[in-house]
Order: sequence, then structure tokens, then C-alpha cells
Amino acid sequence: METTLNPDFSSPRRQSKVAMGIILIKFIRMTIRSFWPVLLSFFIGGRNNSSFDEWLGYLAIGFAAFNLIGSILTYFRFYFHIEKDAIVIDKGLLKRTHTNIPFERIQTINFKQNILHQIFNVVSVEIDTAGAKKSEISIDALKKDEAEAFRAFILAEKDQIIAENAPDLEIAEETVPEKEERILHLTPQDLLKVGVSQNHLRSMGIIFAFVFTTIQQFTDDFTDTVTDQVTQYDSLLPDNNFVLFLISAIIVLIISFLFSLINTVLKYYDLSLSINKNGLKIVRGLFNREEISINKNKVQIISWSENPIRRIFELFTLQIEQASSAEASQLKSKIRVPGSYMEQVTRVVTTVFPAEFFRDEPQFGVSKHLKHRLFFYLGIVPTIILGTILYFNVEWQALYALLLLPAVWYMTTLYQRKRSFELNEELLRNNSGVFGNAHDLMQIHKVQAVRIKQSWYQRRKSLATVQLFTAAGHLSIPFIDLELAQELENYILYRAESDSREWM
Amino acid sequence: MTTIFENLPVDAESLPKVEDINFKSIEKKYLRVTLIASGIFWFVLILGYLAIAHFSDMEKTPFNYLIGSGGVFLLGTFNFIMTILGFKKKKYALRQRDILYTKGLLWHVRTSIPFNRIQHAELKQGPLERMYGLHSLKVYTAGGQTSDLVIPGLLEETALAIKDFILGKTAADGDDTES
Repeated sequence: METTLNPDFSSPRRQSKVAMGIILIKFIRMTIRSFWPVLLSFFIGGRNNSSFDEWLGYLAIGFAAFNLIGSILTYFRFYFHIEKDAIVIDKGLLKRTHTNIPFERIQTINFKQNILHQIFNVVSVEIDTAGAKKSEISIDALKKDEAEAFRAFILAEKDQIIAENAPDLEIAEETVPEKEERILHLTPQDLLKVGVSQNHLRSMGIIFAFVFTTIQQFTDDFTDTVTDQVTQYDSLLPDNNFVLFLISAIIVLIISFLFSLINTVLKYYDLSLSINKNGLKIVRGLFNREEISINKNKVQIISWSENPIRRIFELFTLQIEQASSAEASQLKSKIRVPGSYMEQVTRVVTTVFPAEFFRDEPQFGVSKHLKHRLFFYLGIVPTIILGTILYFNVEWQALYALLLLPAVWYMTTLYQRKRSFELNEELLRNNSGVFGNAHDLMQIHKVQAVRIKQSWYQRRKSLATVQLFTAAGHLSIPFIDLELAQELENYILYRAESDSREWM
Repeated sequence: MTTIFENLPVDAESLPKVEDINFKSIEKKYLRVTLIASGIFWFVLILGYLAIAHFSDMEKTPFNYLIGSGGVFLLGTFNFIMTILGFKKKKYALRQRDILYTKGLLWHVRTSIPFNRIQHAELKQGPLERMYGLHSLKVYTAGGQTSDLVIPGLLEETALAIKDFILGKTAADGDDTES
């Protein structure tokens, strides 16, 4: 195995030449991100100054030169190679750092491509390691076939090292076919369906938040400007407020719709999900293409959910939460695969978790008191507040606020009815949802902390909320009988403590 | 009663029960530490309030001033009462395979962490705790802060003993899985 490596990684080598360009762009983005207020203030503040144009020119040249030299030097000072079952990386302009990563500490090796990478057929290699806080080491650009050989070599060596240390444990796993099998490929039609059925309200929220924060940064007296603008039309449209409102609502809807559609296409273009012997592999994205490997043992929670529109297409959003070593890589710990059919969800669950335990079990509902509490906090309290505010402004029309009550009652009833959990000796499944349905599945031996909570109200009704923490996210089961909660606690602790399988 | 276990290959009665454990209270001295800490907090707050009252035109609105100071005083008193009453609820227990901690007067919370899921444990000591010779034991689990556990108000020897016990157990379990 050790001699068959085609490109020779045993002596120190540089990255692909394209790396210079990629580092340059990284540099420019970094400097712009950290200096943009300065640049902006130069740009705006110096307008009336005659010598300002000259200044700006020098600044731009200095800026460009700094970036160019920086990136070229970074490229020439970066070496990596493989030495005695470890990756060795030497880098740094002024302060040289020498990093040595033993193979057995490597968790996963992921590839990422932005548009430049795609043009030159190179990938950026990210090595995720266990332990240290700053646990991510990346190589900016490597030819794709080289990178693949590099990864295959390291992972094979790593498996061999682990197998030598624990012979009886690992060999059983080798019997799984080595071949990679693609179980999901998002076709353009499916992508469109996913885009159409996104939560457009959320996009609307994001757009509003973005618009307001950006505008606030530029002009503090934005509200004045808006009022000025709006009052101009007041005389023109004395009683067409409703039409105005309708038009702006439609515009906002269309923009939100397009926003989420484009977002979906950019992020999930040509998504493919495949199964291999270690777990799952996901490739996705249009301009920024990324490849994420998921190790079976690290998966803590698998969730799948649908909303009313998705139900028409029979599509689910699959989410896989895996334990990740670094706090920084929060993004990588939750991986979403929208546009999965039930068949693919089942496939993923049975691959990652022991298949024989994935079955329906009797459902345990939650107490009716949950509905009452939710109705109190989400229905009655807001109605009183809203009603009072409205009363001081519009008097008797404040009674419209009462319409909120039946709507909230209906929603909390749905929620309480759908909230339930199922349990067997291996898996715990949480069901929830209001208009849609969501399911979370966890392997109970992976639980690392159990928490039982009781509010003053819950104590009077002898109810409790159970929270189960894993290395990636937690599940909670609200408002069940205290006795049931304690049984659950005892059982889950027993299962976590008596299971010697790997859990992350 | 054994409702969940009808479909499980385990007898609920045979499992060790969390409800039956004798929990140990943390050191009484720790109450003084918390009281002093919140005393300092409220003192600074009231000082700030007085400063604002002094430098603004109080003569015009003495009534508002009274309401404000009354509110601060009530909140402070409430905070002290809750701290004193809630102190009794802070209890911990060690079992053969896990560590438990309970707290909360209005909101009861009980957290249990199996030893074989603990990443790391350490002792911490703030300046006030040092005056009273107390330590806090912090237990880290993988993946974020939400499930970490802090047990305050332990004497040095207890804290060290618990820490060594936990770490010994964690290491032992590690050995189990390796071989």
C-alpha cells in the first residue's frame, strides 16, 4: 500500500500553481473585510478634497501590491508532505509554523471548490482533526486527482493503524461493500420543487433584517428620508392605502420567493448523497462546491421534516447532525439535504443506525397542559399586550386582537396532538410539527447528559420536561408524567453507561 | 407503572433509580459567597442609581425617584430571598457510573452525566471562593457548552476526590472500549 501512491507525497511539496490566485483572492477578501470602514470613509469623506484622487490611487496601488506580494510569498512558503503516518505542513511568512498531524487524529478530509477552483479543476482540502480547539488545517489548492489520491491514501493508512490497534473491533466493519453507492441526486426538477417549497417567510425576514441593518449603517436619518418620500404621495393617494399596501406586499412576496429560490439553487445545485463503508458523502453547490464526508459513528441525530407544500411533492428535508471537534465548524455539524424522498430518508437512517431498530413503536403523547401553557404564553399574553396598545391608538377596533386567540388555540392544539415520542432499545424518536411534520431520531447510547426540568406549574401537575444532550444538539420531550420522565432518565442513563460502542 | 418498558428487553424495576439516591448538599459557606457576590452587585447598582438621581434634577420629580428606589430595593430583597431559599436545592450525587446535580427553587433542574461521556473535568476558584477555601468542579462534555455541568461550593479535598474519581472512571471506560 505504501509504495503504490502515484503522486509522491513523501517529500515536501508546494500546492498547485493556481493556489497563488486563490490565496490572492482570499487575501483581498480578508483585507477588504477588515479595512472596509477605513476604505469607505476615505471614499466618502474625501470627496471635496482635490488631492483625494491621488491619495486614492496610491492607496489602491499599495493595497494591490500588499495583497499580491503577500499571496505569492504565502504560496512559496507553504509546503506539505507525508512523513511516518502523519501529514506535515510548514507554512508562515514571518513566523514559521510546523504542523504535524498523525493520521489517527484525522476525523474527516473534506473538499471545497469555489468558482475559481472549478475553472482550474483544483480543490481546497480541509483536514478536520479531533482534540485541539483550532482543529482545522487546510490546503488551498491541489489538483483534483492528486487530492483524491492523497485522501484515499491517508484514510486507508488510518484504517490500517486503527485495525492494528483494535483487531477484533474493526474487521467486522470491513465486510460492508467498499464501493460507493449514490442514493440521491437532486435533478433540476427536484431542485426547483425544493426552491418553490422553501420557507419564504424566513427569506422575507432575512431580507428585511439585511435591508434595515445596511441602511442604518449608511444613514441614521433613514426614517426621515422614508417619511419624506412617503408623504410626497399622500396627496396623490388619499384613500388608496389598501392598494398601496397590496402592491408592496406582492413585491415583497416576489422578492422573497426569488431570494429563496436563488439561494436554494446556489447551495444545493447538483447535490448528490452517497453511501460508502465509513458513512455518507455529500457533494453540493453551484459556485462554491463542497464535499462533506460524514462518519457513521459521529452522527448523533437524524431529522426529517416536511411542510404542507413539500407534502404535495412528497419531499422531506433531511438533516444530519454530527459531532464536530471544533466549535468553529458549527456549520459543518448540521448538514441539510433538502429534496429527499421517504425511500432515501429510510436508506440513510438504516445505513447510519442499526437497521433492524428503525420501526414504528407505540407513541407516547405529551400532556394537555402543554397546550394550555403554550396558549397562555403565545395566545393570551400577546393578545392582552397587543389589545392594550391598540386600544390607546384605535379604541374599539382593538377587539380585532381577539382574533389571535382562536388561531393560536388551533395551532397549539395541532402541536400538542403531534408531539410524541417513540422508544425502543436502540433509538428514540421525537415527532412534532404544527402544519408540517418533523421527526428526530437519536441513538440513545450516544446521549451524554440527561436533564429533567420542572417548572413550578409542572410540579403542581406532576409533569416534567426531559432534555437529552448529545455531542451535537439535543432533543427535548416536554410535559410528560414525572414518573415516565424518571423511567426514561433511568433507562437512558443505563443504556449510555452500559454501552461500549463508539459514540462520536 | 412500567409503561415505557413493555417493548424493551429490560425490567424497569431492576434499573438503578435516580429518585432513590441520597443527594449531598454543597458546603454551607458557599451561600455566603453567593450572598456577598450579589451584595456587591446590588451595591454597585444602587450606587449607580444614586449617582443618576444626584446629578439629574430630582427636585422636580421626587415621586419617580421614590418609585425607582423602591423597585430596586424590592428586586434586591427578592433576589436575596430566592438565593437563600434556593440554596437548599443545590445538591449533588455520585454513583458508580454517573454524576448528578440538582438545583432550582422555582424551576427544578436535575442533570445527570455518565462518566464515560465526560471529556474533561477541572477545578475553578474565584477570588471570593478562595477566601472561603471553596472550589467549583466543572465537567465538560463534547459538543458545546449546553450540557456542561458546574458544581460549586466544594471543599478542596472533596472537589479533588470527585475530580480524580471521575477522571479515573473516564479513563477506565476508555480502556474498556479500546481492548
